[in-house]
Formats: sequence, structure tokens, C-alpha cells
Amino acid sequence: MIRLRRCFAGIPAARRRQLGLLALTVFILVFPLVHDNDADIDSMANAAAYATLALGLNIVVGFAGLLDLGYAAFFAIGAYFYGVFTSFQVMPLWSDGWAPLAMLGLVEKINQGGPDLVHFTLSFWLALPAAALLAAGFGVLFGAPTLRLRGDYLAIVTLGFGEIVPIVARNAESVTNGAAGLNGVQAPRLFGWNFGVDATPYYYAGMVLVALLIFVSIRLRDSRIGRAWMAIREDEVAASAMGIDLVRLKLLAFATGAAFAGATGVFYVAKLQTATPEMFGFPVSTMVLVMVVLGGMGSVWGVVLGAAVLQLLQSWFLPDLTEWCHALGALVGNAWLQRVDFVESVELIFGVILVAMMLFRREGLIPATRPAPALSFAAQHVAGVQRGGFVGLERIGQWPKGGGNALEISGLTVRFGGLTALSNVTLTVPAGGVVAVIGPNGSGKSTLFNAITGLVPAQAGGIRFEGKDILGLKPHDILRRGVARTFQNIRLFPNLTVLENVLIGQHARLATGPVGAVLRLPRTRAEEATAVQRAIDIIALFGNRLAPRAGQTVSGLSYANRRRVEVARALATRPRLLLLDEPTAGMNPAETLELAEQIRSLHRLGLTILLIEHKLDVVTRLADTVVVLDHGGKIAEGPPDEVRRNEQVLRAYLGRAGRAAADA
Amino acid sequence: MTTFDLFLQQVINGLSLGAMYALLALGFTLVYGILELINFSHFNVFMVGSFIALWTLQQFGLSGQETILVGLPLAGVLLAAFAVTMLATGAIGVGIERFLLRPLRNVKGPAAMITTIGVSYILFNLILLTVGADSKNFPNPLPPLAFAVGGAVLRLREVLIWIVATLLMLALTFFVQRTKLGKAMRATAQDPEAARMMGVEVDRVIMTAFFLGSALAGASGLIFGLYYNFTSYLIGFNAGLRGFTAAVLGGIGNVPGAMLGGVIIGLVEAIGGQLIGTAWADVIIFAILVLVLVFRPAGLLGRLAPDRS
Amino acid sequence: MHDGGDTILRFEDVNTYYGDLHVLKNVSYTIGRGEIVSLLGGNACGKSTTMKTIMGVVRPVSGRVLFDGAEIQDLPTSARVRRGIAPVLEARRLFPRMTVYENLEMGAYTRPKGAEFAQDLDRVYALFPRVQERRRQIAGTLSGGEQQMVAIGRALMARPRLICMDEPSMGLSPLYVEQVFDIIQQINAQGTTIFMVEQNASMALSIAHRGYVLQTGQVVLSGTAKQLRENPAIREAYLGELQVPGAA
Repeated sequence: MIRLRRCFAGIPAARRRQLGLLALTVFILVFPLVHDNDADIDSMANAAAYATLALGLNIVVGFAGLLDLGYAAFFAIGAYFYGVFTSFQVMPLWSDGWAPLAMLGLVEKINQGGPDLVHFTLSFWLALPAAALLAAGFGVLFGAPTLRLRGDYLAIVTLGFGEIVPIVARNAESVTNGAAGLNGVQAPRLFGWNFGVDATPYYYAGMVLVALLIFVSIRLRDSRIGRAWMAIREDEVAASAMGIDLVRLKLLAFATGAAFAGATGVFYVAKLQTATPEMFGFPVSTMVLVMVVLGGMGSVWGVVLGAAVLQLLQSWFLPDLTEWCHALGALVGNAWLQRVDFVESVELIFGVILVAMMLFRREGLIPATRPAPALSFAAQHVAGVQRGGFVGLERIGQWPKGGGNALEISGLTVRFGGLTALSNVTLTVPAGGVVAVIGPNGSGKSTLFNAITGLVPAQAGGIRFEGKDILGLKPHDILRRGVARTFQNIRLFPNLTVLENVLIGQHARLATGPVGAVLRLPRTRAEEATAVQRAIDIIALFGNRLAPRAGQTVSGLSYANRRRVEVARALATRPRLLLLDEPTAGMNPAETLELAEQIRSLHRLGLTILLIEHKLDVVTRLADTVVVLDHGGKIAEGPPDEVRRNEQVLRAYLGRAGRAAADA
Repeated sequence: MTTFDLFLQQVINGLSLGAMYALLALGFTLVYGILELINFSHFNVFMVGSFIALWTLQQFGLSGQETILVGLPLAGVLLAAFAVTMLATGAIGVGIERFLLRPLRNVKGPAAMITTIGVSYILFNLILLTVGADSKNFPNPLPPLAFAVGGAVLRLREVLIWIVATLLMLALTFFVQRTKLGKAMRATAQDPEAARMMGVEVDRVIMTAFFLGSALAGASGLIFGLYYNFTSYLIGFNAGLRGFTAAVLGGIGNVPGAMLGGVIIGLVEAIGGQLIGTAWADVIIFAILVLVLVFRPAGLLGRLAPDRS
Repeated sequence: MHDGGDTILRFEDVNTYYGDLHVLKNVSYTIGRGEIVSLLGGNACGKSTTMKTIMGVVRPVSGRVLFDGAEIQDLPTSARVRRGIAPVLEARRLFPRMTVYENLEMGAYTRPKGAEFAQDLDRVYALFPRVQERRRQIAGTLSGGEQQMVAIGRALMARPRLICMDEPSMGLSPLYVEQVFDIIQQINAQGTTIFMVEQNASMALSIAHRGYVLQTGQVVLSGTAKQLRENPAIREAYLGELQVPGAA
């Protein structure tokens, strides 16, 4: 055993993964050939169906972080779609209008001793994509009003939705045959050969479907789209401030997950050749959720494993365990052991798994992200040493120098309930300039940034960027126009790596959509390669501080490094105006000085900067103009040295000197 | 029956259902108000409560609707049944909080909510496995008194349900508004850190919220049995969804809102069911839930003042 | 430095962290009974963390916090309030949907509601007639200055021996600031020790007996209020100016 492990240890990780995949493929291909037991093959085919459902829910819950408790509804939609269009349930009167469809093989004319009727004969292979599209359509229809809700409200709405669909199926008897269920659903055919009732063809079809959806899941995960979903999961506000259109991407996740379920519905109903409302109730949604949680939310292989484990637990292990217990009970004469039935208790076991996983192993069997090992001293010093500036700044190119004013704010007023956070603030940032905003705590500085980037609405005034009104636009639109920011309290995507964080910064500058992500055509590859190179260049600006840590999750970084990643992420958006909210907070003097130099070098490249900062010497080094806020209003504006001597400013910062003097 | 009598009858039915949902909604609202957690285990704590009530009534030798009690014995049996049920479900709620949710108190994301789903599932299946899938006849010792209100019938059990629910809600309101612990509860809901700094033991407050909410769910479970004359392992889901909808409709976190929401949902179910067909009642309730969440997420009564001063 | 034996609160080499951010670095304070002590410093230098460490919301990783000579760093917040420490929180933090009177009641949460409660209530009403007028109003609807009065009144209801104030002047108009500082002096004159975090340095030093200046988590200056007022370095330190070679 140890020798075997040593033997494997010599193989590189990627190669080992390929070998593992090959072994798995071979096993799956030969399993029905060597194991001639129809019931077991059927269990595996069912496991495949659940694995596809788990993969779909994983996109919604695991990737995008949207808790959907009514996922089985989409499963039902696909199932009834195929069921209705291949069974003898709905049979309109035949007319010649149906003839073209009959030519295509979608319908046939039948006669059951009355007038001629239409019998739908939709092909299984056509139904798979069609049901996926239909379910995705329902996903959009249903998601559009509800995806704006807070996460926990979404859970309860989806729960209700999941309950409604089976009710409709039960009540709409003319279409679905109600609680009795659809009968005579057509088995799939392939080149004239009927799948019939044997489990083996369904087994292979199911495995192909799983393989296909694993492929799609992985392609999506490792693309611009997947990164955007994970950004939403980690921090919605930061995601929208980085240019991600929340509504659109949430809908996409919802629709994609629904599409997986719709296709699975077709497969499942074709296999069972019946569809009843009970097959799609809340227990199914919960079971799929348990699979995702068990396997690891966000982990593609994890959820497949979770589905396989739970399904096989149900059909293989629990019956055996029950028999063993009965035998043991007979042996020791224990009546309870002879009666116990674990198969019946399977849902109880699901509940226990759910709770136990949450308490003891929230990341699941195969965690989506694995913590990177700590870096050795040598590994921390691979890149160049930076002293007071960036390394290799020339690589990220010159910023376009605009003329006139980059940002013009006039009469801006922001109120929260009765509290006025900003009142009538007017401020101008010339193109290529550096303006610093200072002021005591609670004077409205961060509110100003939030208003500029569209995170809070303004009650009055205007904000123009490069001459165009941006007040009222969504945060992602504002970013798209070239305004990027950092946050005072650091809002990175904590469970993603440094590289992924910086890549997400480029979201708005890349074009790959979901289809492109899955197909990964040369154009997409080229775009992705350029994006990664650019991200690496930006990370390399910070030399040894960040470059060796590009593959680490940001939650493990030091505070100062997280601030640097935020700056890097903002630079990746290719801003023409950069808003920095206390970029040096929590840094020691040496680190502060270093970052100040770096900001100055950005400015020399032509980047326009608006900066909130408390350390006055940083402000003095960087800013052409200082704006002072107090109680939400502007009390002074001018060159740093002038502002430092301004009596009103000193009073705002140090308090009323008059009284101090009088008491002295 | 005239249309008006029919309407009147559905109002009577609706108020009884509403009393039940309001008690359930209070449990959601108390916990959500403090932890911002949708407690799915509440669905089946309610269901378990109706079984505890069933067993308690059986201990008094009651089964079915044949044994009728009057006067003091009736009052005593009912009081004992409510007390035992509420204490037992309260204890279940406290246990769930203490052992399964408290370890997750500082975990971000949906972990705590997923845990409550798991707990709900466990309770559901425990009852299914121990009691079985058949509905159980629920003892009802009330004399079959009925009054005519116009053309509608008002039975004694309905009057009793209204009285009990009103008393419980008054007691809860008194607790939350007037007692020290109740005030601490409101303070914690409004600003947990500030409450802690006043010396409030937040753990104790959260436990109290779970106890009260679960105890009210137990009372609601008993009322369910008295009203429908049966109980089953299945009743948690529908009633729970209605209770939650009631809490959202009234403004989640808002105690009077939960009561109002409960009554409205009860009336909607009864009257809407009459008009459109009971098979679609769930669809109506769900539609209300979605519409409220989308168009008025703060609910009818909402919050009385902004969250942070 | 306060060096009398009558010390009410003492920090000994306290270190605290937020995650991996080292906030307080070997910080020591000594607050004498009956004093007003100001803690000064720029943003994010550890002032609020000091207050949270006293109240037990943040626990030190090392070092000791002594109140009345007994170690309190491991006690829960409620026990500290019972021993006589009450907070006036940053940005007031009233319970916005409770009445003014209920907010005051919450201040007295750890104490029985008897004759002493009535006395304390009278005392608060005497200090703030305005609070008495508004006692039935919902706290969230008060103006900022009124809220600050309620916040101070709420702290007094605990009958504390030490009040920790976090930025009592924040967000208030100059008129209210003057009033609030007068009240603080009055409360102190009645025997309550005050430890106050304040950005408004001149104002704070005008009523304090002593002060500490904190910069990036370390005490860089301390002394009597007079010494601090006259020290030109305070302004530099206070505004967060770095003593780095080459800085402007």
C-alpha cells in the first residue's frame, strides 16, 4: 500500500488527475458489461440523474450563492414537457395543419375509434435541449422579480415556487392526468433502436449527460462568467462596484441551473416512462441540496460525488445495512434490531447529514477551494524588490490623458432618513489631477464615494464624469465608464485567490459570454490569456509583496497586502478615475510611504485620482488640491499647505481652539 | 345559505385559521428580528407540537370526539394540554438553538439556515417513522355547542381558539413591551452590540426568543388539532409557509405585524379558497408572499423607525 | 503620569488584534479615580478599540485590564457593567424604536428597579430637562444633540463609577458640543470618573485632567492636559503625520 502511494507520488498532479479520470471512465464504460445486475445498473442511472441535478443546483447555490429551495420545480417542468409531448394524454383533433409537423416526426395521426387525433411524438434528443431552454425560460420569468430579494427571502420564495409547480401538476388534470400521473411516456430511440425498459441504455445516456454537464460546469467556472458568479457570492456590493451586472448574472445562473434540471427531467421521465406530481416535491429539492452540501458547495466533482454517495447509499448500502441489522437482531434476540428499516429512514439520514455537515464540515467532501500552503522564504522573494514605487509599471501602459475636468460634482446632497450625510457639496477633479478629501470621522467622505459610484442615491445635485451625467446609473455602469474604487473597510472576494480577484476587476473589459465560455473558441482563449497576463503584470507591480502570493486566497493575506490587492483590482478595471478610500489605513509608516510612492507613480502615468486620506503628509505628498468636509459640507478647498493652515480646518480637526486658550 | 352567510362563515373559519397562523408567525418574527435567520425548523416544531398535544390529551383518557368534558375538568385538561405542549416545544426550540445554531452564530452565509432545514427534516422524519404516515384522530373534549350568527355557524371550539390565541398574544405583547427581558429582547433586535454593552446577556435573550416562538408554535399545533380533529406528520409544511407569509406580510421582525399578517392570511385562505377553490389556496398564499416581498419588503406595518439612529 | 494609589482603571501592556491586524500594541493606561482622561489620536489609531477592550467586546490577546484592582479582561460585558463601567457609544447607538424612557431603562438593565432607579432617573432629568420632556418619544426621531443627551443619561442610569465615552462630540453642532462638554464636567464633579475618546482635541483637553495620544496603536505621548496643550508635537501626531525621513 505504501509502495503504491510512493509510486503515485512520483507522478505530477495534472498527470495523476488525467490518470484518475481515465480510470473512472473505463470503470463507468465496463461496469454494465461485467456487472450483470439490472437493478444495480438502474441505481447507477438514477445516480446519474441526481448528479446532473446536483450540478445544476451547484451553479445556482455553489457558484452564485443563491439559495434555491424549489429547484425540483424546473426538474418537473422538463419532465412534464417531455411527458406531455410523447404520451397519449393531450390529443387534439387532427387537421391538415398538423401535417408539416408530422413530416418532421413530431406528431402522428392516430385513430382510437373516433375522429382522427394528434399524438405527439417528440424525439428524446430534441426534447433534451428544448426542455433545457424551456426551463431556462421559466427560470428567467420567475427569477426576474425575485432575484433582487435578499438571499434568505429568495430561499423562502423558491420554496413556495417549488411547492406550486407540483400543485399545478396535480390540479391541471387535463394536461398532466393529475395525481395519477402521465402514462405511456415514450422511450427514447437512437437510429431506430428503442431504449425499452432495460437499464443499460439509460445508464450510458445518463453518464454521457453527466459528463457533458461536468464539462459545461467546469468551463463556466473557469471563465469570466464563473468568476463573476463567485464574486457575487462573496460580496454583492463589491461585485457590482467591479462592473458586474448583478441582475443579469444572477438570472444567468438561475437559468443555467434551471436548464440542467429541465434536461434531467426529460431523461428521468423517459427512463421511468411516467410522471407524477410526487416525483418533484420538496423532498427532491432538499435531497439535491443535501447532495450539493455534502459534496461541497461550488465544487463540481464534489457535488457529483455527493449525488453518487447519497443515491447509492439509498439503493445499495441501506438495504444491506437493514438486512445485517435484522440478522444481528435475530442472533441476539433484539426485537428493535429485527424491525429497524434504514431505507425508510433515508430522509432522516439526509437531515442528519445536512446538520452534521453544517456543524462540522461546511466545505463538503471535496472543498471547492483548498488553502494554499504557506510560502517559504525563498518563494516570497522570487520577484523584484521594490523601493518606493512600482516594479515594471511600463508593462501596464500609459493612461490616456484627457483634457478638462474628469469629475464635476455640483450641489450634491445625500440624506439617510432624517440624517443629512452630505449637503450641497461641490467639487471638481481635473483630468490627470490628484484631489484629496479629508475631514473628521462622520463628515461624509465615504458617503461621497458611495454616491459617486452609485451605491447610495442622492437627493439633489449632479455628478458628471468626463462631461456625462452618471448620477442615477447602476454601479456597474459607472465602473464601465471608467470610475473604479477601493473600500475603506476592504471588500475583496475573500475565498478567491489574488489572481482571481484581479481578474474580476477586468470583468467589464472582457466580452466572453456563457456560450463562449463553454465552447472556449480561439478568440475566448486569446482574451483569457491576455487577461491573465495583464492581471499578472498588475500584481507584479507590487513586487515581492504580491507576486509570490498570486495563487493564494486573499483571506489569508496580511492586512496591508489586502489593501494592495484592492488597489490592484481597481487598476485592473482600467479606470480613468481612481477613487481610493483610505488606502493606507492600518499600514505602518514604511508601508504607507511605499504605497504613497506607488500612487504617485500612477499619477505620473496620467491617472486621475480622488483620495480619502487621514495622514496629512500622504495628502501633502500626493494631492494638488485638498477638499475638507465637516458635517457633510465642504468647509475648505485649496493646495495642501494652505489648507493645513486654515483656521476652520484646524477647528474641525482639533476642535475649538478658542475655548482651549481661554481655559489655559 | 345566502352568499352573505357563506361569506360570514368563511370569516369565522378564516379568523380561526388566522389565530393559528398568527401564533406561528410570531415565532418566525421573534427569531428573525434578532438573528435575521429564517428558522425552517419552526415548520415542524409546530407539527411536533400537535403530536405532543395529542399524547397529552390521551394521557387524560381522551380519544376521538366522543368524550365530552364540561366545566372545571374541561378547563383543567385544556390548560394542562396547552402548558405541557408549550413547555415541551419551547424546550425543543431552546435545544435546537443551544446545540445546533449557537455554534454557527458567527458563521457567515447560509449555514445556519441550511441547518434549520436539516433540523426540520429530522423532526419530520422522526414523527413519520415513529407515528406512521396515517393521520391521527385528534381528541376534542369540547361540547358540540354552536351558535347561529345570521345564517353562519359559530362553534364553541372557534370561540375557544379565538380566546386562547388572543390571551397568548396579549401575554406575549405584555412580555415584550413591559418586562425587563422583553425589553432586552427588543433592544437586542434593534442593536445587538449596544444591548450587550448595557449588560444584556445576548445568549439568554436569543434563547428566550426561541423558547417563546417555539412555545407559541406548540400552542398553534394544539389549536390545529382542535380545529381540524386530526393531525399528521405532513401538517408542518403548509401551515409553516402560511405562518412565514403572515410574518412577512406584517413586516418581519414586527410583533403586532405578525398577528395582523396571520389574521389576514387566515381570512384570505378561507375566503379565497371559497371563491377560487381550496386546491388553489397555496397558489394564492404564495402569490401574496411574492408580491409582498417584491413590492413592499418591509411588510404592512414595517419597521417603525430607521434601523440606526 | 498618574501615580497615586487610587487607580480605578489600568491597562498593562495590552495587545489586541482584528483578525491579523494588530490594533493595540503594548498599550498601558492608568486612570485615577475622579479624573477626566482624554484619549486622543487620528483615525484608525486604536481609540475605539480601547473602548471596546474596556467593555469586553474586544478581548486582548495579551496584557491585563484592571478595574478597581481586579483583572477584568476575561469577564463578559454584563459583569463589567455590573461592576460599574458604563459606555457612551460612538454615534450614540440608542435603541431607535424604543422610547427615550425605555432607553434609560436599558441603561439600568443590570440593576434592580427600585428606589435607586427613581433617584437616578431624577438625576438624569435634572441634568437634562430636555430628556424629561421627550421621555415618551421614540428615540430614533430625536435630533442628534438630544440623542447624545439620552446616550449620556442612559450611561448614568447604570450608576457607574467609570463612564467610557466614544467621541461624544461626533456629528454634533458646535452649540451642542459646548453643552455636552459642560455636562461631562458636571458629571465628573459629582464623582464619576470619565475616560473619553475624542477627535475634538482642544475641546477634550479643555476639560480633561490628563490625556494620552495614540498613534497607529501605540501611546506616543501622555501627560497633563496643560502639558499636552502646550506640546507642539501633539498637532503633528494627532493629524497622523508620520515621522518618516523625507516626509514633507
